[in-house]
Amino acid sequence: MEQTSAAFSVQLYIYDLSRGMARQLSPIMLGEERGPRHTSIVVYGEEFFFGGVGISSCPPGGTMLGPPDNVVELGSTEVNEEIFMDYLSSLGETAYRGERYRLFEHNCNTFSNEVAQFLTGHKIPSYITDLPSEVLSTPFGQVLRPILDSIHIAPPGGNVINGPQNNS
Amino acid sequence: MAENSGTDPAVNTNADENAAKGGTIIMVTVKTPKDKEEIAISEDSSVAQFKEEISKRFKAKQDQLVLIFAGKILKDGDTLNQHGIKDGLTVHLVIKTSPKASGGSTSQASAPSPGVSSSNRSTAGAGNPPPASTANQSQGTGPSAAPAQPGNLLSGFGDLSNLAGLGMGSSNFMELQQQMQRQLMSNPEMLSQIMENPLVQNMMSNPDLMRQMIMANPQMQQLMERNPEISHMLNNPELMRQTMELARNPAMMQEMMRNQDRALSNLESIPGGYNALRRMYTDIQEPMFSAAREQFGNNPFSALGGSPDGSGAQPSRTENREPLPNPWGPSESSTTENRGAGSTATTTTTTSTSGSTPSVSNPLGVGSATVGNGIFNSPGMQSLMQQISENPQLMQNMLSAPYMRSMMQSLAQNPEIASQVLMNNPLFAGNPQLQEQLRHQLPVFLQQMQNPEALSVMTNPRAMQALMQIQQGLQTLQTEAPGLMPKYIQMPMILIPGGIPGAPLSTGGGLPSETPPASAPTSTPAAGANPSQQQLIQQMLQMFAGGSQSTQTPEVRFQQQLEQLSAMGFINREANLQALIATGGDINAAIERLLGSQPS
Repeated sequence: MEQTSAAFSVQLYIYDLSRGMARQLSPIMLGEERGPRHTSIVVYGEEFFFGGVGISSCPPGGTMLGPPDNVVELGSTEVNEEIFMDYLSSLGETAYRGERYRLFEHNCNTFSNEVAQFLTGHKIPSYITDLPSEVLSTPFGQVLRPILDSIHIAPPGGNVINGPQNNS
Repeated sequence: MAENSGTDPAVNTNADENAAKGGTIIMVTVKTPKDKEEIAISEDSSVAQFKEEISKRFKAKQDQLVLIFAGKILKDGDTLNQHGIKDGLTVHLVIKTSPKASGGSTSQASAPSPGVSSSNRSTAGAGNPPPASTANQSQGTGPSAAPAQPGNLLSGFGDLSNLAGLGMGSSNFMELQQQMQRQLMSNPEMLSQIMENPLVQNMMSNPDLMRQMIMANPQMQQLMERNPEISHMLNNPELMRQTMELARNPAMMQEMMRNQDRALSNLESIPGGYNALRRMYTDIQEPMFSAAREQFGNNPFSALGGSPDGSGAQPSRTENREPLPNPWGPSESSTTENRGAGSTATTTTTTSTSGSTPSVSNPLGVGSATVGNGIFNSPGMQSLMQQISENPQLMQNMLSAPYMRSMMQSLAQNPEIASQVLMNNPLFAGNPQLQEQLRHQLPVFLQQMQNPEALSVMTNPRAMQALMQIQQGLQTLQTEAPGLMPKYIQMPMILIPGGIPGAPLSTGGGLPSETPPASAPTSTPAAGANPSQQQLIQQMLQMFAGGSQSTQTPEVRFQQQLEQLSAMGFINREANLQALIATGGDINAAIERLLGSQPS
């Protein structure tokens, strides 16, 4: 069973979008660190994430956000790179096209979560993925949703993996 | 292995036969990037069997299927049991487009990357570099600029966005607001988007209000005492306008910065000039910054204007050569209050009393009141009221937030702002008499607002609901029998923007929900025991009732609105009139009524 399974380690890079402000301020105010997070999956020596332009990849830590604020080891996977790229390209054609990006419901964290589960069977920490629903559960979140829906976050510095281009 | 169940399309048969083997059937979800299916399979079966099922379902060849579970690739020879695949679990499936062509798929995978890299890098890059470079530039030229921008824009966008936050903290507006702030600050693109928001621009173009906002901040006041130049600056509308222009326009801001730089460098060359500059800094900038750090975060320069040797010709803004202290550096605990104070929740929600102190999220203190004004003019008020009554938690949170207290306090201390805010409310717009009275009454109102009883009314969902009902009933009454109402009504005052002044009014005026509507004449509200107040209440009620003002009939009063409505195509004059009466002359709300979509 273990013959050809080269295990690739999978990591989750977490970027605190407040650039450290949350780190400084929220513990004082809230007693813990909270804030919007951008996440990406790092595997095979590459970082993969989902943004307003679709699924992108880059060298780890290579986006404009710089080095991650937090790295979580998700485990390891047997899935090799080619299978993974196949997987990514079909994701990129369907659920994770650029225009499918939704700041609240379908964002980089959604992507990271899904890929993490695919690769390792584990999800990413829930405090990251719970963030949008918490906000949306308030009436104000609902009211402001149209405004926020138009906001896309796409840290530059990566190559976009385009499904259709992959397939020919 | 004996494959009796082999190729049976019917899962049931399969299941039966499998069951016959002694394994239980489990439902496993197979998930591809595109979709997912539930497959029933015996838990004893092998991966190969599983793949058979899957290939039927997904219409793919077995050797194209790659099954992944918990990070492991399932090989044909394994069994489901081995991998711990049980009922209800999800297995991932990748259908390889080119079966087993490892070279092929790899090259496929890698080809796009370099292929698209250049173009995508440029596009992906293109989107972001401009704002990025702007950010960088601003970082370069004026260290303040970058923090300035986000701060500004945040304030600009005010508390609408703060509310949504991109953060957690469902009902804690402060958190939401902070989240939004951080989010915004990190992404210059968003900032520019937000700045485009007409609401923001609207806000920014009202220098008076902004000045008041700023002045309302106790720290600013202190500063102003110490440095009268600052108040000069604030009192100079031209300056304010320019400041706001700057706030609105980051590019212009940079320009200004550069001018400042040059001017200051000239100053330096004057004998003794350097000392003057230094003095300037210590006298003005430091306290300014500490205040700014807590509230402004961005526009300390504007307040510095008019310094003695000043930048002479330049309006406002002394240039700051020292590196700015990190506005969000060691967070001051006072920030909590102040930050909260300005912002938030109050805006979109009800409170008219959005006249607020500036806060970090609200650098120029712009957000609340001005945004609030915009909000007032929208017909969303009533729906908000509804929301509030439906969601008591909301009110609770809102009112219990620490900054609410401080905000109310500052409002109480500064009736001017509150009055301005209230004045702008369309309800009062048509009745200068009312405005006058209101102005007089404001301090009292504000006192009452702090009355915990009033607050408890607001937080009591049933009370709120009752109030709403009353108001609805009254409105119906109004439309049915306009002549009947004026003297009798007390409740409609609740709808007075935001209802918070309303509540105290009613509290002051009487017992809000307890007193049955329409029955007690307005003298009952005498719980407040303030005759002039009663009168004011009466007046407000009359306004609300919209009917039989002693001076004019509704028709006359709403003449203009009626004309507008008929110009818009609402030809039913009667209906128009009633709608106008019901909404107290608010055209937008009237239109909504006419169209049948009644907010309340």
